Amino acid sequence: MRAFLYSCQIAFKNLVVERWINLLTILSISVGLLLFTSYLTITLNIDTVIKRWGTGFGMVVYLGDGLSMETEESIKELLKQDSDILELKYVSSDEALKELREVLGSRSSILDSMEANPLPSSFELKLKRETLTPIYIEKKAARIKEMTGVEDVQYGEKWLSSLNTISVVMRVIAVLLGAAIFIAIAFITYSTIKVLFYRRKDEIETLKLLGATRSFIKMPFLIEGLFIGGVSGVISALSLFGLYKFTVMKFVEFLPSIRGLLVSLPLEAYIAIPIAGALMSLTGSFFATGRIRY
Amino acid sequence: MIQFSNVSKFYDEQIVLKDISFNIEKGDLVYLTGPSGSGKTTLLKLVYRAEHPDDGQILVAGWDVAKLRQKTIPFLRRNVGIVFQDFRLLPNKTVFDNIAIALRIQGLDPRLINEKVNDALNDVGLKHKSHALSQHLSGGEQQRVVIGRAMVSKPTVLLADEPTGNLDVETADIVIKLFKEINARGTTVLIATHNRELFMTSGRRVIFLRDSAIEKDIIP
Ligand SMILES: Nc1ncnc2c1ncn2[C@@H]1O[C@H](COP(=O)(O)OP(=O)(O)O)[C@@H](O)[C@H]1O
Ligand SMILES: [Mg+2]
Repeated sequence: MRAFLYSCQIAFKNLVVERWINLLTILSISVGLLLFTSYLTITLNIDTVIKRWGTGFGMVVYLGDGLSMETEESIKELLKQDSDILELKYVSSDEALKELREVLGSRSSILDSMEANPLPSSFELKLKRETLTPIYIEKKAARIKEMTGVEDVQYGEKWLSSLNTISVVMRVIAVLLGAAIFIAIAFITYSTIKVLFYRRKDEIETLKLLGATRSFIKMPFLIEGLFIGGVSGVISALSLFGLYKFTVMKFVEFLPSIRGLLVSLPLEAYIAIPIAGALMSLTGSFFATGRIRY
Repeated sequence: MIQFSNVSKFYDEQIVLKDISFNIEKGDLVYLTGPSGSGKTTLLKLVYRAEHPDDGQILVAGWDVAKLRQKTIPFLRRNVGIVFQDFRLLPNKTVFDNIAIALRIQGLDPRLINEKVNDALNDVGLKHKSHALSQHLSGGEQQRVVIGRAMVSKPTVLLADEPTGNLDVETADIVIKLFKEINARGTTVLIATHNRELFMTSGRRVIFLRDSAIEKDIIP
């Protein structure tokens, strides 16, 4: 514990003595983290929009011709049991025809020439918003379609599948970008700590000869790395928040209706940024100090 | 306290020490001499495991030095105070800090460190220079800081490599007197030097190295 406090002292002294290189490192890491977290925020917003659209379409379940009352009733019961479905509205083929007549208005006479009602009965569904993703909706539609008596299920398939792709691609990019940023930050800290380590090579050699343990020698550099990463994380978290507020302000100026639609990363994510930065830098400084041999 | 048994050391193909055996008892003060290049520094380095012997066994304060694992080497060195030929003082650090570092690496209580460092400063007569930066001192003063650092942790063994090398006669006398004091308190001292005047009339044991072997070992 005492050795740890002493290491902290050395670490902070070194931080001050080598302030320019450390400042530069902190700036680079902050920019890297800001880039990544900005991207995450954009992804989150696009995802949120996709979710809204995906469910805004609702779903129409078309039933087969000439189903018995019991079959229709049992389909209704099955759909009612699904907790994702908020509203369920039955539209009989007669009602559908009536609606169509209303839509066509004066031209509805063209329907008169038809012998039988060509429109199927259907259920119109409204789905719960939060839990639904495009992939989920697709699966749900497929499952409903498999029910006996269901002829077809319609929703914005085309839309959904392209939104789906966007959402998946953005997530994949987030993971790749995250990995790249991790490596970049670890490497930036690695180079900085390596430089600082070499500058103090003679001193370290002396400490080794006097009987300093490996951890005594490494500790100040690890603390330095931890501090550099943590501070960078705090800086980028604050910048991200500022950037978010600024963007919202500007967007609302142009598009007042967008107010309240833009979402920010949750508080947990903001707290995670400095921790992630610190861990990434710690990794870098751990490798920079290497294996100490006597 | 320091025991060499058939120790050999090569640098690449060149043999530096060949089949060296001797035993230095606890509480002795011994001189190690020989012409330049005869292997004095190498022998000292073997004691604190800065070099590894190619053959033979070395016992230092009960440690089998050649068999030490990397992790345990620091603990051997804490028992061996070293007065380096090139001083190895930390630049931009005060005299106080340069001596204190030997205790800080051991994680001692700062108050205890303060006490011990002040004692050492008194012993080497540098109390008044406590806050001076090490690089601002004269050669003789720097030499005394190094001695202070080597003795502050009360090591069982103290090694000195040409401790009077660059000093005038009077300063050299002061330094040798310091070693005798340290020795009188029970520390085993081994001094490598090519300065004959130091040991000729000292009445102490002298080990002579020549052509990678012990030429003479004069025990009074
Ligand atoms: N690190 C080394 N690598 C190769 N040769 C060395 C090394 N250190 C010393 N030597 C050689 O070993 C011999 C003994 O050197 P040293 O122990 O320094 O002698 P002394 O201290 O008695 O002058 C010399 O010939 C020297 O050139
Ligand atoms: Mg020498």
